[in-house]
Amino acid sequence: MNLIDTYVSEVGKHLPKKSAADIEAEIRSVLQDMLEERSQAAGKPVDDELTFEVLKEYGAPDKVAASYQSQRYLIGPQLFPTFQMVLKIVLSVFGTLAILGLGIQLARYGVSVDGIFQGIAGIISAFITALGNVVLIFAIIEWVLRSKGSTFPSQELPAEKQWDPRSLLKISPPDRVKIGERIADIVFDSAAIVLFNFYPHIIGFNYLQEGVWKDFPVFSEAFFAFIPWLTLILVLDIGLNIAVLRQGNWKSFTRWFDIGLRGAMISIGAVMLSTPGLLAITADALITASPLDLPTAGLLEVVARQGGASILAIIIIVELIEIAKHLYRMLVKDTKAAPFDVNG
Amino acid sequence: MTSESFDNLILELRRGVIVLAVLSQLGEEQYGYSLMKLLSDQGLVVDQGTLYPLLRRLESQGLLQSDWRIETDRPRRYYLLSDEGRELLPRLKEEWSSIVAMLKTMLA
Repeated sequence: MNLIDTYVSEVGKHLPKKSAADIEAEIRSVLQDMLEERSQAAGKPVDDELTFEVLKEYGAPDKVAASYQSQRYLIGPQLFPTFQMVLKIVLSVFGTLAILGLGIQLARYGVSVDGIFQGIAGIISAFITALGNVVLIFAIIEWVLRSKGSTFPSQELPAEKQWDPRSLLKISPPDRVKIGERIADIVFDSAAIVLFNFYPHIIGFNYLQEGVWKDFPVFSEAFFAFIPWLTLILVLDIGLNIAVLRQGNWKSFTRWFDIGLRGAMISIGAVMLSTPGLLAITADALITASPLDLPTAGLLEVVARQGGASILAIIIIVELIEIAKHLYRMLVKDTKAAPFDVNG
Repeated sequence: MTSESFDNLILELRRGVIVLAVLSQLGEEQYGYSLMKLLSDQGLVVDQGTLYPLLRRLESQGLLQSDWRIETDRPRRYYLLSDEGRELLPRLKEEWSSIVAMLKTMLA
């Protein structure tokens, strides 16, 4: 096999099978024409040196093959904006869940260097897996569209939708803070801090026994072990609310800070859910404090325990929803706003 | 601006005229290499990496027709304007004339 045949064969390896034979024949013909002309101009017969010169001028086989094909993309320009948006959403959700998981793990098993390293390795692994899966899915979609012959050529961007300038009226001002909500947050946070730290004994019932008023606390010592962490979160939440009120708008940093606080609250809530004996409402305590019989006291203990768990679960769900709302606002700009009065 | 950037701009300018130049020379049959020489003799240097894929694309668009012929000792693929290509060429020439006139005014 001579040099020309070898070169043409190399180009053919990168050509689409359907048209490879035809293109190879044309390239061979062109190269022979070029060699003939150079040979006549040089006044010498075709030799290896002349052939190398012509082949170098013609170009590397893969580059020549590429010039016969339309541009190929793993994820083409049509799908790329959608891919970017989906990737942002997926990475944000994965990242949030991974960080929450780390928080729960550390809260449950204690903070250790080994635990932190393992947790961070897990987060990085989750990110890479999520990225790879999203890229793979979109690469498959791109391949399916291309193989089925999409309605628009891959080199062209999709035709712009009919854009209506009136849609500008629907664009909201920057995310305004609801002042009432922030103030209510500050008030409740402050009340909770004061109540749980300075007046924990009033969280309960009072009952009269043998002419003496006695306290029946709702929460046990196990519950109050979480109070320093809850207090820290509440203090940070108050600080955040004050900062947000001063700014007037939610910004990326404040949103992420709020997500972090809610994530911490979820972590503590999850640990509390799995911690037994948080309530002081036990069958024994009820029997001591009241004329209830054992079955009734036992039933009340179960009801109190289930009720407490339900409240914790609801708090966790609400916090997750708030996190999702923050992520949605940051990633997808599609808010409603009061329309402007164009007539002034 | 670097010399390379300037050369790229020139290349972009020339790329814009290659289709019209190629179609204008295929009123009579040419094979790829002869067409390349014809264009080069008239001042438009087009490398084979650009010309041959372009010829195939124009054929797939229905503007050219081609057939293989065995001449002397080797096969050659000859290109010629198709009926559709002959119909389109005057319109392209007209469009080109108006572009040139417009640019002449702008550059004056």
